[in-house]
Amino acid sequence: MAVQPEVQKKGFLKTALDVADDTFTRITAGISAGEVRRMLRGEPPGRPNPRLKPHSEAFLLHIKPTYYHESVTRFTHTFRLGLLSTYLFLVETITGIFLMIWYAPSPDRAYSDMIRLLSNVPFGQFMRDVHRLGAEMMVAVVTLHMVRTYLTGSYKAPRQFTWFTGVILLVITLFLSFSGYLLPWDQLAFWAVTIGTSMAEAVPPAIVGETVNLLARGAPDIGANGLLRFYLLHVFFLPILLILFFFVHYYKVVHFGISLPASEEEVGQDTANKVPADRRVYFLPDVLIDEAVFLLGFTTLMVVIVAFFFQAPLESIANPQSTPLHTVAPWYFYWLQGLLKIADKTIAGVILPGVLLVLLIAIPYLDPNPSRRAKDRRIAIISGVVAGVVMIILSWMGTPQYAVQGAPSVEIVQELMPEEGAGHIREIGYAHLPLGVYDTRQELHSDDHEFAEVLEEFQASVLRFEEADPDFNNAYGILEITQNQPSLKKLHWEIHWLSAEGAEEVFLRDFYLHENSLYWEQYGLRDFNFLRPAAQGGE
Amino acid sequence: MRKPWYAYLYIKSPILKIIVGILAVMLAVAVLLFVGLVDGPRMEAQTANWDGRGIEKGAEVYANNCASCHGLEGRGNPGPALNSRYFFTQRLNDVGYTGSLYDYVELTVAAGRPSKANSQWGVMMATWGAEYGGPLRADQVANVAAYVMNWEADALQQTAETDPWIPFQDTPSRGSPYEGAEQAAAGPVEPRAPSELFVSMACSGCHILDQPQTDANRGIVGPNMGNLRENAEQRIESQTAEEYVHNSIVNTNAFIVDGYMPNIMPQDFSQRMSEEEINGLVEWLLDPNRQP
Repeated sequence: MAVQPEVQKKGFLKTALDVADDTFTRITAGISAGEVRRMLRGEPPGRPNPRLKPHSEAFLLHIKPTYYHESVTRFTHTFRLGLLSTYLFLVETITGIFLMIWYAPSPDRAYSDMIRLLSNVPFGQFMRDVHRLGAEMMVAVVTLHMVRTYLTGSYKAPRQFTWFTGVILLVITLFLSFSGYLLPWDQLAFWAVTIGTSMAEAVPPAIVGETVNLLARGAPDIGANGLLRFYLLHVFFLPILLILFFFVHYYKVVHFGISLPASEEEVGQDTANKVPADRRVYFLPDVLIDEAVFLLGFTTLMVVIVAFFFQAPLESIANPQSTPLHTVAPWYFYWLQGLLKIADKTIAGVILPGVLLVLLIAIPYLDPNPSRRAKDRRIAIISGVVAGVVMIILSWMGTPQYAVQGAPSVEIVQELMPEEGAGHIREIGYAHLPLGVYDTRQELHSDDHEFAEVLEEFQASVLRFEEADPDFNNAYGILEITQNQPSLKKLHWEIHWLSAEGAEEVFLRDFYLHENSLYWEQYGLRDFNFLRPAAQGGE
Repeated sequence: MRKPWYAYLYIKSPILKIIVGILAVMLAVAVLLFVGLVDGPRMEAQTANWDGRGIEKGAEVYANNCASCHGLEGRGNPGPALNSRYFFTQRLNDVGYTGSLYDYVELTVAAGRPSKANSQWGVMMATWGAEYGGPLRADQVANVAAYVMNWEADALQQTAETDPWIPFQDTPSRGSPYEGAEQAAAGPVEPRAPSELFVSMACSGCHILDQPQTDANRGIVGPNMGNLRENAEQRIESQTAEEYVHNSIVNTNAFIVDGYMPNIMPQDFSQRMSEEEINGLVEWLLDPNRQP
């Protein structure tokens, strides 16, 4: 007679723990709580390796390799720039969606929507600053990613196509950044984009250029249609294109593996996908922890920068009738602006960048050298460095400091009180501008320490320009500060000089400054003066 | 594989890495908390900032376009003065406009002013707004109106002798802003008469005073007020007629009479009238012997 097996009694606690562990394992797609503890302790996985399961079960992990070669997980091999570019795209998408809630792409509303975002939306300025900083960082990081790939020779066979998609991604990133530039609809945006699209006009033959320009602007000049088109490019067309190329690029990266440091393989070989068992670093947990901590740290860095050191600019509303004194492209297009200063629009704006783009794409096919080792690639590395230095010089030539000085009289005022942006006068602010007439021919002193500095600068600047320019003699400046309204001061600038022929000339400019106005620079320590009500309007 | 010289910089222990990550998150959260804490004052400062910048822009527009007639300091000659106590206190009443003075200025700048042929002013106010064919964009019109409004503090200090205002010959003034000058310096003359308020607050546009509200005779947009006392007592049981009418003026959507739409009646009366004026208006509306 068979004995029935005794019913195993399982206590309540044990049942509850089992259920909890089961749930946990389902959420992590196959990793039990005990396995997580072992991971954190740095212990090896059991057999069969349960840490591989999420890669086949979980959607988000199935695109990640299960293990990497030890040498490529080292931070200094890739600097994780590719991951960072992807992450920045995510940041841009999220902050961008928040900004879209508060924005309508029409010239009637765009600018006032920006003001409303800054002054009536909690965290509105923060979101905008993160979006702007993220965009600039994304351009920088994608470029650095390409520089790294170039210097380690990682574009060589079999990764030519990966390089091609990477170049396309760089171009899309630049266009994304540029199309977003117009959306605030301020002077900065309007004129930078007017100049940018006018380069498209220079595409030969004329009929093509004009058509491209017309398509981009939606009219002969940028207006409601142009803004809508740039908006759609920025939030719809370009992001979708970027996502498409990103997946191709990423698939290729995973497919071929990240190229090893050149010293670890024979010349002409590619052993990235043949990782010896003892050199494997598994994604779970090592690479995941590395990447997560890196991105968290980077996010913190961005938050700190935005909170204290970075403010997206917003100038006056776009005014097609008034071209600002210095129209400045965003810094990543300084090189293009520099080129435009030394060559005409067709050559510098269309042909040279086009040739540059084709060259970039063709690099893997032009470089017959099978070796990725630096000592075998002297020509490639030197020409890369030379290209980099040329870019930096061109960028310097693109800044307003180089060769676009206006008349000295205009520049003197512009230095202290620019048409747009802060400048020294607006930085010290309404409270530090005592009423009176200040003539640079006289000994100038003021009880206000900060204003005294400005006066000194004014005098020095007049002298400096007088020495530099033979057409600017016997110059002197007058600054007259009057109270125009109860909370509004008028700053009347007069610059007098004698031209080379001895004719008396004068330049007049009036500016107004309101008690409550805050002007800021894009980079630099944020001004928290508004936290001290006593400081406001205290004279 | 030789280790690079900077290998000592690598963090090896996963626990240590996670701790670094947690510290980073804590720092980010702390900074975000700080940003959140100062966000209220920041928004206030930004609001004031953009108002201020608008006035600056308006000052430039004014100097270029308006000063030749209205004077650099708004004291008029050859046009009417704007930096004037009369202008800020009495002008709206004399013109018979129920909006705010800012609206009046903005509209006048944008759409110009119809002047009579025998007007004392040599030049007519042009239509400056782009939508009326003028040279100024809507934002510039708004800025210049904000600039004009910014004279208020200055103008209210003026006395009858220092006010540069020259009366319009075609619109005689219905009152002087200088009677009881000390009292008036504190603000507009108060309380305004209920019968005047009923017109200037535009109540009369929808509520007919001398017709009763009955099923056979209903006001089209708002209930008639001929028999307001009887109706008001019955509307809400817990409220007296006075409470009900007061509430209906201050909190206009609190009770909507059957058959009428909410949100038609303006909701800002408590800001546009003082409590004293509202009480006066309620008393007047419920007075059976009221003289319109």
